[in-house]
Amino acid sequence: MEGDNRRLMAAGARLVWRRRGLLWWVFAVNFLLGVMGTFPMARELNRALRHSLEGEQLFKGFDLGMFYELVRLPEVELLRFTTSSYGFAALFALFMLFVSGGILETYRQGRRRISTGDFFAASGAFFWRFVRLMLFSLVPFALLGNAYLGLETASDYLGDKAVADQVGFVVWLAGVIVLVLTTLFVRLWFDIAKVDAVARDERRMLRSAWKGIDITRQQVRALLWMYLRISLVAWITLLIAFLIWMKLPPTAVPVTFVLLELVVLVQLGARLWQMASLTIWYQRRAEGVSVGSTDFAVAPQVAIEPEPQLPLYPDLELPPADA
Amino acid sequence: MLPRELFLALIIGLFCCANAVAQSPFAPKVSGPLSQRVVAYQIDAKYNPAQHTVDATETLTYHNLTGQPLDRFPFHLYLNAFQPKSTWMREAHRDGSFRSSDFETWDPKEFGSNEVSFFEVVGMGDLTKQMKFISPDDGNADDKTVFEVKLPHPVAPGQDVQFRIKFRATFPEVVARTGYKRNFLLAGQWFPKVGVWWHGAWNCHQFHALTEFFADFGTYDVKITLPKNYVIGATGVQIGDTDNGNGTKTVAFHAEDVHDFAWTADPNFKVIESQFDGSVGPVKIRLLSYTSHKGSWQRYVDVMKGSMQRFDQWYGPYPYAQITVVDPPHGAGEAGGMEYPTFITAGTDWFAFRGDHETEGVTAHEFGHQYWYGMVATNEFENGWLDEGINSYSEVKVLDNMYGRNASGWNLLGAQLGDASYLRGYYLPVADTDSLARPSYTDMSSGSYGGVTYGKAAMMLLSLEAIIGEQTLKNALHTYFLKYRFTHPTQEDFLRTVNEVAGRDLKWYWDQVVYGTEVFDYSVLRADSNPTNWYEKDAEEKPGETTYETQVILQRKGDFVFPVEAEIKFDNGESTRVRWDGKDRWVRYVYYKKAQVKSVELDPDHRIMLDRNYLNNSYTTEEQRGGTTKIATYWLFLTQFLAHFLSWLV
Repeated sequence: MEGDNRRLMAAGARLVWRRRGLLWWVFAVNFLLGVMGTFPMARELNRALRHSLEGEQLFKGFDLGMFYELVRLPEVELLRFTTSSYGFAALFALFMLFVSGGILETYRQGRRRISTGDFFAASGAFFWRFVRLMLFSLVPFALLGNAYLGLETASDYLGDKAVADQVGFVVWLAGVIVLVLTTLFVRLWFDIAKVDAVARDERRMLRSAWKGIDITRQQVRALLWMYLRISLVAWITLLIAFLIWMKLPPTAVPVTFVLLELVVLVQLGARLWQMASLTIWYQRRAEGVSVGSTDFAVAPQVAIEPEPQLPLYPDLELPPADA
Repeated sequence: MLPRELFLALIIGLFCCANAVAQSPFAPKVSGPLSQRVVAYQIDAKYNPAQHTVDATETLTYHNLTGQPLDRFPFHLYLNAFQPKSTWMREAHRDGSFRSSDFETWDPKEFGSNEVSFFEVVGMGDLTKQMKFISPDDGNADDKTVFEVKLPHPVAPGQDVQFRIKFRATFPEVVARTGYKRNFLLAGQWFPKVGVWWHGAWNCHQFHALTEFFADFGTYDVKITLPKNYVIGATGVQIGDTDNGNGTKTVAFHAEDVHDFAWTADPNFKVIESQFDGSVGPVKIRLLSYTSHKGSWQRYVDVMKGSMQRFDQWYGPYPYAQITVVDPPHGAGEAGGMEYPTFITAGTDWFAFRGDHETEGVTAHEFGHQYWYGMVATNEFENGWLDEGINSYSEVKVLDNMYGRNASGWNLLGAQLGDASYLRGYYLPVADTDSLARPSYTDMSSGSYGGVTYGKAAMMLLSLEAIIGEQTLKNALHTYFLKYRFTHPTQEDFLRTVNEVAGRDLKWYWDQVVYGTEVFDYSVLRADSNPTNWYEKDAEEKPGETTYETQVILQRKGDFVFPVEAEIKFDNGESTRVRWDGKDRWVRYVYYKKAQVKSVELDPDHRIMLDRNYLNNSYTTEEQRGGTTKIATYWLFLTQFLAHFLSWLV
């Protein structure tokens, strides 16, 4: 299984690289929306600091006292600009929901390129289906959110009762690890549902969702481990970037900018890598190639009944010629 | 000549007698009395950890040094504040918060009380039924934090009166500096305490949310019986420890020339002892902490020694034999950050990072209270700033000296915060609310109380350095401490002392900053250079050749009048400093040079911390983009990361 997993991840990485234009486009949109979300704040800040020597305290080091004064200045009121950031972040999420269909279709085609027209056609065709799938996914994610609140209450309670300070934190940490893995499981489940929907041009999203949980349950070890490993790459990159950042002088803003954008690029790349790897896995499974079984040499052939192939664009019913 | 054996026996006997006398509560080179000892408390207390109660008998000997006969005595019962209808609770609920607690709803665990079951005046009988609760401040009949007793006949001047009081103290779960948490107890303001005869009348305020305490100096002999496995610490020095044979022990403490007595107990305490060698001899530092806070033990010791050394050098000696430092357990933060004579509570976390100086800050602050609260002992009900404000100022001085001015509060993850800036953060939102002279318990809100008594007072003293110099102010505080320790001075005593040491009348400053609410805000309104030959057609500007008229306008935006300095820099490297008395609303400076203005900065040495807006204190002709670009870079990253996270969820 371990070898299969690695081969799958490698194949996924190659696919992402082969279609790296997708990654650049996603990154470009993320960057553009980020800039749009940041611009209102930057403009107000510039107005306040443009002709002031106090900005030096924020540039040459980072004086928290000066930052606090800036934040609470009536003319600036920095915190009100978080709305703009949330708004553009949500817009990016919507964008990704829209292009997911196109991305998965691109990966499904493997070596065959699809045209920009087909990409957006696929995106459009699957957008509302994925919106429905997203709404279904809100149920388990909401449950996880509530579970987190419960975890906080429990860790606070246990920590309060314990003499040692760390008890509450350890309980919280253990719970968070479990919740993160569970969240990854839910993500995996709905990614499989999406991949399945694209592969079979499925319109019934509830059916895809059920199929997704079914497949995920059967292959949880292999797939979750694959997803976790890819996520770990992203988190480790973040950690390395942080360690590099700690060594940089406070005035090295251009270098910091490049470092932070690289982190974003790797995060986005890791996400596409997960989608690509999953698509390859699904295809191999559909072809009867046993991937993810514990004993590759004697793995049973998985027989899958082919689903009826529905046309991508159903024929329109034409009215009678003499109507 | 005595036989040798008899002589030896005499020597041994003398030695034993010397040891039988209580360990001195003072440092080796100090002997009491240091104060006018108005009160002598003897308390026998029994602590019940399961019920969080203390049952005690108190014998209070009061020396009538007022010069007049007294037939009425008020007492504080502070723990009665922790009841739903008390003045304290009413004010805390109205304000919405107190320290780290909010009082939106009533939690029965917050209940505390002092119940007096027996009150006798020796020689005058049982006066329990004569006890009457009074509410001299707000008339709240439900507030039971002050009671008064009228004696059948007065106590003549110079005479003593002895009270015998039996009471039960029930502690709340830790709130407002006192209470229990799991096995930990911080017993503060736990016994009936007589008021202070102050300027011809009794000064015995109800317990308010926005105030601390005031009491007379005297001696304390306290015995506490508690389970054997408990570790205990208290005001003064421990002079006895007796195993009662029934699973309990009785520990005795003695303190002299102090005005309060607090104690703490927990079976999980670890005791860390060290010593500070001061100008009057060694002082024991006794730290009570927990294993999970081991990473902070050395930090506590280092900051204690550093603070004690600086206070000793700058202001005067610490005369007591010991200082106890209590590190409250997690969840008991409400008991942290508090001062009692020779006994302070600090606070830390198991993960306290080295660059976060909060542990050091709170410890240095609470130690500083030993001087301004513990020995100078001003009336905290009425002039809270004389203790909190002066102490906040001295805390800044200590921490800046130990850790550097710009990083004395925080130096971690590329960000810095000086302790003075940290205090300024409290002051800024309330710069236009209450005056320092206003009785603290009547301040607008807890934010105003904190911002004014701590922040504004500290900013006031830091800004005063710009007028009289740092060394002169240090000398003034040194003089104030030595002259007024153990005497309960007023704010006028302090202000007069500063005037005398500075050798000038600072009334203009005190009127605005202590008695008034004038807001301090100066700005650079305008700075520009224009060629003098502007009227010539086709005139060209040539650097170094063209003469410019430079105009600089400084403005006083607030009402606070203060002499300010400004530094004007030109693009040829020249600079000049001007001093403006600040009396008019604005002032203009004009220069004719073959150079253009590059920058103007008010208070270039950054000493005037009262100015409520630093961002308008300077002007540069060249655009400064560094700060904006840096913040925008991080903001962009956070926005992008948030976007990615949201997209991952969908």
